[in-house]
Amino acid sequence: MRITCPFCGERELGEFTYLGDAKPQRPAADAGEDAVYDYVYLRDNIAGVMSEHWYHGGGCRAWLKVTRNTLTHEISAVEAAAGAGAAKVGA
Amino acid sequence: MSSSAIPYSTIRMEGASVAEFSWDVRSPLDRALIVGPYGAQGEAGVSLTEIRNFDLVQVMARRGNAGEMMAAAKARFGVAAPETPRAVATADATLIWSGPDQFLVLSKDGKHLIEALAPGFAGSASLSDQSHARALISISGEKARAMLAKLSSIDLHPSVFAVGAAAATSMDHTSVTLWRGKDRDGQAVFNLLVFATFAESLWHTILDSAAEYGVTIGHSGDL
Ligand SMILES: [Zn+2]
Repeated sequence: MRITCPFCGERELGEFTYLGDAKPQRPAADAGEDAVYDYVYLRDNIAGVMSEHWYHGGGCRAWLKVTRNTLTHEISAVEAAAGAGAAKVGA
Repeated sequence: MSSSAIPYSTIRMEGASVAEFSWDVRSPLDRALIVGPYGAQGEAGVSLTEIRNFDLVQVMARRGNAGEMMAAAKARFGVAAPETPRAVATADATLIWSGPDQFLVLSKDGKHLIEALAPGFAGSASLSDQSHARALISISGEKARAMLAKLSSIDLHPSVFAVGAAAATSMDHTSVTLWRGKDRDGQAVFNLLVFATFAESLWHTILDSAAEYGVTIGHSGDL
């Protein structure tokens, strides 16, 4: 498997580290225990297209959001995660 | 260069023994690098030169300030800092892309020390002195690319990786900054920055990969 880093270009899998589902959003401070429990512990086991966080630690050290089909490993999109590239994303 | 403490005198003080230390600056490859030929005999296919005594500063834009950082770099160096994986030569430094909105300033003889760079980048970027945190290895020779192909998945063919091309990548599971410098004697020169504490390990891997081509090993103070 290869991932095309938006900053570095196409690289081998070994340069990346998998974090997991990119969907969960940190709940508001007053969201309650169930929402926090869901955010911290509960994950969907997706068979199909999934949005994931990957870290290009063996390269430019940017966090990426990768859209990947877990059945075929086909990657349909790679973008910088919020905060990657201090100035451009999530500023 | 790492520093090692060598006790050179022991002073007796009121019955207690106090060691004094002198700090001896030496390369992270000081022990591993043995000048001369290595591997297959005959004309060396790979030339390995460790570059010593360089100054290296990491410049990273603060959130939302990449534009200001780029302007400050232009003011300091007279040329634009790289915004894509490239190495840009200035009159007396090389600016090497090291990730989004960040680059390294490589120079020597104290021309661009962190103290001198800091005022120009105040507010726009965070600076970190890496001079003693990395080893710099220059790789050339007819078989340089063949040797590197064993360690790197980056395509280093001249049609893809021309002079000035750079990559933040890994070799033998070790993070490196790789770029192609100016050709020397009509041959490609690949420069490699590696963390000081990983330098010896990667050096041995490089030697293993290069041995079959014959290697000539040296070190230099010239960038
Ligand atoms: Zn990258």
